[in-house]
Amino acid sequence: MIEIRGLWKRFGDRLALEPLDLTVATREVVALVGPNAAGKSTTLRMLAGILAPSGGGATVAGRDVVIDAVAARRALGYLPQKLGVPPTTVVGDLLELVAAVRGVPAAEARAILAGAGLGDRGNATLAELSGGQRQRLLLACATLGDVRALLLDEPSISLDVDGAEEVRAAIRAAVRRGAAVLFASHHLQDVALLADRIVVMVNGRVTATGTLAALAAAAGIPWRDGGEAVDPPIERIYRVLVKRGREHARSGPLHLVQGDAA
Amino acid sequence: MIAALLGFELAAARRTRTVTLFAAGFALASLAVALVGLSAGGAVAVQGFARTSVSLLQLVVWVVPMLALLTGAVAGAECHELEFVVGLPLGRRQLLGARWAAWTLALGAALVVGLGAAGIAIAVLVGAADGTRYLALVLVAWLLLAATLALGLAIGVSARSRARAVGIAIVTWFVLVVGVDLAAIGALEILPPRDAGWGLSLLLLADPVDGARALGLGLFRADAVAGPTGAALRRVLGGWGVWALVAGLVAWTVLPLVVAGRRFARRDL
Repeated sequence: MIEIRGLWKRFGDRLALEPLDLTVATREVVALVGPNAAGKSTTLRMLAGILAPSGGGATVAGRDVVIDAVAARRALGYLPQKLGVPPTTVVGDLLELVAAVRGVPAAEARAILAGAGLGDRGNATLAELSGGQRQRLLLACATLGDVRALLLDEPSISLDVDGAEEVRAAIRAAVRRGAAVLFASHHLQDVALLADRIVVMVNGRVTATGTLAALAAAAGIPWRDGGEAVDPPIERIYRVLVKRGREHARSGPLHLVQGDAA
Repeated sequence: MIAALLGFELAAARRTRTVTLFAAGFALASLAVALVGLSAGGAVAVQGFARTSVSLLQLVVWVVPMLALLTGAVAGAECHELEFVVGLPLGRRQLLGARWAAWTLALGAALVVGLGAAGIAIAVLVGAADGTRYLALVLVAWLLLAATLALGLAIGVSARSRARAVGIAIVTWFVLVVGVDLAAIGALEILPPRDAGWGLSLLLLADPVDGARALGLGLFRADAVAGPTGAALRRVLGGWGVWALVAGLVAWTVLPLVVAGRRFARRDL
């Protein structure tokens, strides 16, 4: 479980994230969506210990991400938006390191590498892998071991259709193993297919949160659950809510959508 | 876990061309200095193995700090790009410590290859007398490498960008190799002879490069040819002076690592 209580972040004069409250339950998938500089990555990076919060707090599997940072990171897997590893790193070396720090036997790690379709690339450097292969490797590393929470920043970035589907399958597998998943994405198809709840963020604040059906109702867009899950309505919903969020940011208090209005 | 991290960093350090080039280049330069030193006669007040070792020491105190500062600065700045690794259940200080240890081992091995090649050449040509002192010289070079790598890491972690880190590392090298010598010359000119020893001692402790140079010269009793700092060196190296210089080099390793660790642990990446 991921619990965020009043977490906020300031970079110099800029408030990157206003106090945020959010809970992601076990086996739940929550998507953060919004335009650039909305605070999505900042949220994930604070949870992963990359950025120090300016205030508030958060726990992962009951461990405080600031006070008990290493223990919290033991319970979570983090996939950053950028590579986050020197491109000269050899695949096998990276996998060995992750397996060792997560207490996973090397043989199991190698099996996971093979499962990610990279069984024969153990001696390759990350620079020698394609974008999709790199992403699959890092996702495999992030989900290695007894991970209770997954933080994924643009997990299907630079992936083709098949690659994106593989990433979604890996996320679903992690959920089946009991992980809470919080991911940020501009790929609204991923959001529609994966997320139990969606959090819309604009300029560092949450402007709407709810199920896709609830957000559709809030946006005034007809929604028929089921077959239309990956249909364009999600893009229209997104545009309406982001536009509304921007207007609210200028003119007054927000009206958050919460719960399932379907 | 520490072993895994060290193994990861060591594998990364080993694969860079820096180590191979340093090993090859330093071996060639050391051999050249050794052979030239052996073939030259002259007025230098040391003999055989010792004479060439003093020449090699000059190579060490110029080349090792330059390479170590630059390598450390780049490795330190690169720490800010390791978002995936930092997101693993590892302490940031552990990561930095492993980085330092890995580069010290990798470049230290290259240093041993370089000085080893020269040492073998000297031993074959003029005999192994003073060989133990030569080994001590290798140890001094290693201490200097460890200290300047730590300093470079602290620079890199603080500077954040590679370009800025490299710039600061070059300025630091210039200050340590040339600037402090100029300060020593000035101190010896200004201070009365009675106080010069203290002034020089402080300068030697304040500069790992000159500290290592003084130690190396002391090993071969060559303090008489130590240039501007040589006049008071014999007095400085007496008694506990040698151990003070060794402690100074160790402190120059530990303090920058502590500073780098604190800064890296608190910084946003």
